[in-house]
Amino acid sequence: MLPIVKDHILARIHRALEHRPKSELPAPMPVEKITAEETLGRFRDRLSGNGGELVRLENVNAARVWLDSFTKAFSSAACGYLVPAALRPGLPELPAHQAQLGVSWALGAAAETGSVLMSSRDGRLTQLLPPTHLVFVSEARLYPSLSEALAALKTDLPSAIGLHSGPSKSADIGQIMVKGVHGPGRLVVALIGDMGP
Amino acid sequence: MKASPNNYPEEAALVIREHPEVRASVTGATLNFDQNRRKAYSEIDTEAWRVWAEAVKNHLLTHLDGYLRQAEASLVANGVQVHWAEDAEAAQQILARLVRENQVRTVVKAKSMLSEELGVNPLLESLGARVFETDLGEYIIQLENEPPSHIVGPAIHKNLEEIRQVFHRHFGTALNETPEALAAVARKRLRDAFLRAEMGISGANFLAADTGTIALIENEGNIRLSTSTPRIHVALVGIEKLVPRFSDLAVFLSLTARAATGQRLGTFVSLIQGPRKPGEHDGPEQVHVILVDNGRTSVLADPEAWETLRCVRCGACLNACPVYRQTGGHAYGYVYSGPIGAVLAPGLLGLEAAKALPYASSLCGACFEACPVRIPIPKLLLAWRSRAVEQGMTPRFEAAAIRAYAFTMTHPLLYRLAARFIRYLPDQVLDNRVVPVVKAWTEGRAGLKPSPKSFRELWESGEAQ
Repeated sequence: MLPIVKDHILARIHRALEHRPKSELPAPMPVEKITAEETLGRFRDRLSGNGGELVRLENVNAARVWLDSFTKAFSSAACGYLVPAALRPGLPELPAHQAQLGVSWALGAAAETGSVLMSSRDGRLTQLLPPTHLVFVSEARLYPSLSEALAALKTDLPSAIGLHSGPSKSADIGQIMVKGVHGPGRLVVALIGDMGP
Repeated sequence: MKASPNNYPEEAALVIREHPEVRASVTGATLNFDQNRRKAYSEIDTEAWRVWAEAVKNHLLTHLDGYLRQAEASLVANGVQVHWAEDAEAAQQILARLVRENQVRTVVKAKSMLSEELGVNPLLESLGARVFETDLGEYIIQLENEPPSHIVGPAIHKNLEEIRQVFHRHFGTALNETPEALAAVARKRLRDAFLRAEMGISGANFLAADTGTIALIENEGNIRLSTSTPRIHVALVGIEKLVPRFSDLAVFLSLTARAATGQRLGTFVSLIQGPRKPGEHDGPEQVHVILVDNGRTSVLADPEAWETLRCVRCGACLNACPVYRQTGGHAYGYVYSGPIGAVLAPGLLGLEAAKALPYASSLCGACFEACPVRIPIPKLLLAWRSRAVEQGMTPRFEAAAIRAYAFTMTHPLLYRLAARFIRYLPDQVLDNRVVPVVKAWTEGRAGLKPSPKSFRELWESGEAQ
């Protein structure tokens, strides 16, 4: 676009603000300090309050055993690019728009809002198109607040972060809650206690 | 009658008289939203959050030129193409060029109030593109060729029965289908559109100046999809949508969700830094941001109305408003309705074009209590009203009557004479409302019954002691 448009707009803003006292930028809001145990409890409560499901698994081996049992209910899966080899489901892999299950690896989680933080590097379609979304996340990356969870990503931002806090839902039809409107109707978060070396 | 802000009194009366179901649907939905908001507010130190958010936005707005420059630099560094638009026509031209250059035939749209303000859908259709609103509520009203009636719940004026009929007419579904079945029909049609579309158009809830992050809040997943599946993503961003820092987003996202729907956060939030990077396997190849003025710099120059630019478009003031609840948004004749619409419209459209809206309020103050960024809406409603009077936009009779009233009330002798005069009026006059000019007021109220003696007379005769 012609730079002149930008200059006109900025000049009008400059004139508009000429006699306006400047307001100061406040310091960031302080975050609430809670223990690791409280963080875990809050994450569980809030994620399930949002309609999501939480499974806590001690380590990768336990996760593998749980995964093999969980995936019995599905016949196909799409898998994110960041999911560790040990956690890839043993199901036939299909493109995301055909798969029954999407398996992703989250960059982190926030207890405050019951959210997992998904990266575009993992592949967005796997996070969005299959009707069920399974998200693995390391417990070391579970933060009490959304501020802290986002701050941890700031130095290396992917092209898109998706915060997922529950199943896709809408109350646009007569104020009645419907799940799975466009995104996954089921969100399962598997929190892994010890990711190992 | 053509929908226009100054037809508000007639349009509002029409809705209440002819469409009582609208009032029932809107009241039900907004009371529900409002109750959820109160619950979500009660969980946090709401006053501290609101004061903080107000301060951040005030800082942003009083340094807007600098932050816009910074945001542009951050966006460009992320590989985003930045465009500037003076007004709706300029924004349309930019969009039209992108559509033609990229031979776009199908567009998926994430819910955006700014796109309504700019008239994006008619433009795209005139260019021969197929446009799909992908928010379920927006999709329903697009089928019916109606504008949204609420910032967050565009179809809240329709009840389940009406929506069943809409789906029946368009897709032949049964008239007793469940909401789940209707949503599944929409999901299937829109899923095809997501996979076919070359362009996704969104608005932006926030744009962080330091990282160039476009932040979008939603519940369905349609915004994530609209900004992920097509090869081009265009974000329409009002110049007031900036926040200074990426670190401001956490509070603003949560506060907005709490205010809008009573959630701690929308089910999905997209934080977009630009087109897909090397090594990424999906996502748009082009991301465009159109920074839109369309009247906002004039509002910024206004010594009072500039505070409306803090608005985060949560809709909390609509939900809290006893006047909005009676009619829903269509009666306001403008994209933004309810209390915030009533103070934004005169700023963005000019007072002459929207002078009826500041009167669409009982000045109860509930909107200010609900507002997450503490916009003094009641104060601004009064400011617009007094400007309308100063600029001679009110009926001459009204101005004369108010002047006469003020003169009487400030001259004790005249006041006493007037008070005595009222006592000598026959009951007919006071009871049967024969004073025609105040009919609208007296119709819903009991007649005047002055006491036989004034307080002063009672006091002087010792009866009041």
